[in-house]
Amino acid sequence: MILNYRSLDWKLIGAALALSLIGIMLIMSAQHYAGSAYQQQYYMRQLIWLGIALFVFGVVVHLPLRLFDLMAPLLYAVSAVLLVLVLFVGSAKMGAYRWFSFGPINFAPSDYAKVALIFVLARFFAYTKLSVISKRRLGVSALLTLIPVALILKQPDLGTSLVFFVILFALWFWSGLSPLYMLLIVSPLISLVAASHWLAWSIYIAVLVIFLLLFRPGFVFSFLTVVANLAFGIITPFMWGRLADYQKLRILTFLDPGLDPRGAGYQIIQSKIAIGSGGILGKGFLNGSQTRLDFLPEPHTDFVFSVLGEEFGLLGSTLVLLLFTFLFYRAIRVAARCRSKFASLLVIGAASVFLFQFIVNIGMTLGFMPVTGLPLPFVSYGGTSLVLSWTLVGLIVSADYHWQEY
Amino acid sequence: MERFKLSLAGRERIGYAVVGAVFLTLFIGVVKLQIVEHRDLALRSESNRIRVVPIVPRRGLVYDREGRVIIDNRPSYTVSVVPAEEVAGQTIPNLAELLGLDTAQVRARIQKNLVSRYQPATVKRDVPFETIAILEEQSKKFPGVTYRMEQVRQYNRELGAEVVSGYVGEVSEDELRRSSRQSYRLGAIIGKKGLERQYDELLRGREGTAYIEVSAAGQILGEYTERRPIPSFPGANLTLTIDNDLQAACTQALDTFCCGAIVALDPRNGEILAMTSYPTYDANIFSSVIPETLWQEISSDTTHPLLNRPLKGLYPPGSTVKFVTVGAALEEGIISRNTTLSPCLGGWQFGNRFFRCWQPGGHGALAAAHSLEQSCDVFMYQLGLRLDVDKLAEFYDGCGFGHITGVDLPDEEKGLNPTSEYYNGRYGRGQWTRALVLNNSIGQGELLVTPLQLARFFCGMANGGVVYRPHIVKKVSPAAGGEIVISPRIDFTLPFSQSTLDVLWEGLRLVVEGERGTARRLKNKYYSIGGKTGTAQNPHGDDHSWFVGVAPLDNPQIVVCAIVENAGHGSDVAAPVVGQVIRSFMNKKIGFEIVSTEPAEGGQ
Repeated sequence: MILNYRSLDWKLIGAALALSLIGIMLIMSAQHYAGSAYQQQYYMRQLIWLGIALFVFGVVVHLPLRLFDLMAPLLYAVSAVLLVLVLFVGSAKMGAYRWFSFGPINFAPSDYAKVALIFVLARFFAYTKLSVISKRRLGVSALLTLIPVALILKQPDLGTSLVFFVILFALWFWSGLSPLYMLLIVSPLISLVAASHWLAWSIYIAVLVIFLLLFRPGFVFSFLTVVANLAFGIITPFMWGRLADYQKLRILTFLDPGLDPRGAGYQIIQSKIAIGSGGILGKGFLNGSQTRLDFLPEPHTDFVFSVLGEEFGLLGSTLVLLLFTFLFYRAIRVAARCRSKFASLLVIGAASVFLFQFIVNIGMTLGFMPVTGLPLPFVSYGGTSLVLSWTLVGLIVSADYHWQEY
Repeated sequence: MERFKLSLAGRERIGYAVVGAVFLTLFIGVVKLQIVEHRDLALRSESNRIRVVPIVPRRGLVYDREGRVIIDNRPSYTVSVVPAEEVAGQTIPNLAELLGLDTAQVRARIQKNLVSRYQPATVKRDVPFETIAILEEQSKKFPGVTYRMEQVRQYNRELGAEVVSGYVGEVSEDELRRSSRQSYRLGAIIGKKGLERQYDELLRGREGTAYIEVSAAGQILGEYTERRPIPSFPGANLTLTIDNDLQAACTQALDTFCCGAIVALDPRNGEILAMTSYPTYDANIFSSVIPETLWQEISSDTTHPLLNRPLKGLYPPGSTVKFVTVGAALEEGIISRNTTLSPCLGGWQFGNRFFRCWQPGGHGALAAAHSLEQSCDVFMYQLGLRLDVDKLAEFYDGCGFGHITGVDLPDEEKGLNPTSEYYNGRYGRGQWTRALVLNNSIGQGELLVTPLQLARFFCGMANGGVVYRPHIVKKVSPAAGGEIVISPRIDFTLPFSQSTLDVLWEGLRLVVEGERGTARRLKNKYYSIGGKTGTAQNPHGDDHSWFVGVAPLDNPQIVVCAIVENAGHGSDVAAPVVGQVIRSFMNKKIGFEIVSTEPAEGGQ
């Protein structure tokens, strides 16, 4: 496909590229500590990955969106197969099977599955004639989401599986479902949390019933909502028992960081020290002591934003926050003006992945989100994550370019 | 149902609102950390990476009065392993073989001293230089093995001066808790006993502080340049009043006996010329970690090598204190210098008890000086009865018994000088008889003294009644230069007039020079000597043998007090010991070797 390159959204591309380059700088700094034998390895690798990611981006931009529309079911099926396969032949790390290893390259099928889910849900919502609140529409879309989630939870990876729900909710919302209604749908999850104390749970259930009586979303739906809430409240202790110890610890440590000062709590404390000690101007590139001296855990992946905060201070952190915010703004603008429903949903799906990981990752480094292991898009070290991010940017840019097409 | 649907414009607005809210939340979070909490978190970041390391200064050296070394510091090699650099199958087996340990021991040592994987864990201290040379030459064989120099305290073993020197050791938790003024640091080496403890603050100097940068794993990255290190300041050197030659002579003199003590003082100023306790221990063993078995062995030894006998050993003084009895009687006007009391017929009947004189045949009628010469008990009994318990105790008190000497060494005992108040407390009012004064008059019974107290009393007699406080440090030489000379200090004067002192001095002379003197074996043609023998009855075993000697008589320069435990009569054992010490002292004064004086027959 021949493109008029001047019409591409270069501002959006520029923001994504800036974030990627900042990421490489930070990875360089994170690996710079004295005595490290891997001093050059990580950022050089990330640089190569950026090249691959930009290539993939170029390919995606040049492909017609209709192709993805047509291929969506197939891509989705492939993702499901890969997720099953990774359970059997994947590489283990910290007790979790998440990657296929091809020599030095690790491929996480869950990243690919995110794109596949966006395609298949966008296609479903774009062409279905069902009412926004029809049970069948909600049910099918939920099922499409639950299949990869179930497979990922088996790995197990709580943080990544949450991303799939975020995609589902974002597309529900963008296809016209009221947030109020979505709130009722997720209410069983609130019940699950509230069930940790019988009094809180009782009050919550009472509030829910009053809410249903006021808004009357239909008898069957109300009935199912109440049943689901009661059921989730009752199975909470059972579910808790099914979580892996590290998952329990992450949730508990999030609620009380003092609980595990050498483990997850330690990571959050060191991250806060790193960011806070950066001050307004930061300690300077390659000069962050928290990073350089290894106090900061996982400085090139999970806590890459802490490296930024330490070395570039408030100025650097604010710049990255603004770049992301600009990216989200552009995405919503594109989604709102796209004439193709499929393209519009695609863009929102992509943006929701970025937004969720952005909140969870930075929120974690600032100490108000639990440690989930979700990377910061574009910035964190990780090849598949970077390729995924640029694929999604490619879709947004492509949707923008073709916004007038139906 | 329409209320559950949203227009496109509505969705777009909600989308922007969500993005704006997310940006604001995270921005506020960043501002909170980087501006509001910046100061606090920056401090925590600093304390994360900067480790404060003490710079241990050189501990002060200790010299004898002629500048010869008593305590110095010796460099020693400590071999360690950096666990992070260890190579499996090489480091530990090779090192174990080199050090003569087995691999399990080496592993256990590393485990015990592990601070972090990047810091050397001590395996063995005080490793000989030959071993270090092998480590250097074949360093490839020992990956991760390092060594460093450490100063170790070294005590001159030949002197047997542990009773003076004491020893050093790691500060205990208890000492850390109790110390408010001294700034002890966990793991610091401090004086534990003797001189090392008494003068610890002077000897220790002032610890400096270095700031080093470490990684999270504890790996040392080098000096932290943004804070200036605080330099350390070496400890002061001490010059003692001890004479190493005399000290060695004392140790040698006691060598053939089980247990005992010698104190040699200069009566003119209270300087301690030598002080020994026998048996003793090797203070060097405290410089490194003492094996548990060795500690058990030392502390359960029935000869009590850890007991500081000159300062803490409490003994009945026996006849050595008959000077006090005679002096008190002269002062109180009970007798004059020529008074002879009822003659000695080998004992004294008091009530229903017969108190023996040591000489079963009796001494006959003797005046004061001769009663001292022959150490007649019957003469003393009669004086004791006329003086009574409290008057005699008053004179003992005046002669310094029952009080610490105030010597500059820690943990001195004050002894016991019984008064009627004491007896009332012990036996009950009216439950004891004046017979006790008979014991007190000859230095037996409840009366308990330390060898140092007894030596101090004789110093007073040798110095015209003026008693100087015994002291061990002659001079302090701070590292900054200059020196502080400790001047002698008069403590008190004996409660005797010059005429009384003359009588006592005559008695002291006769003990050696008199025809019937109990220590006449010490008489020799080179120098004059005086003294007093003593045999202290010991309820736990054989009598303790005492002798206190003074020389030369025309100008007394030395008082030597010796006790040999469970050795019998003072004249047989302690007197020759003192004689040997005084001979060594006089040899050095006169400058030639005096041939051993022929021993003569002696009494008590």
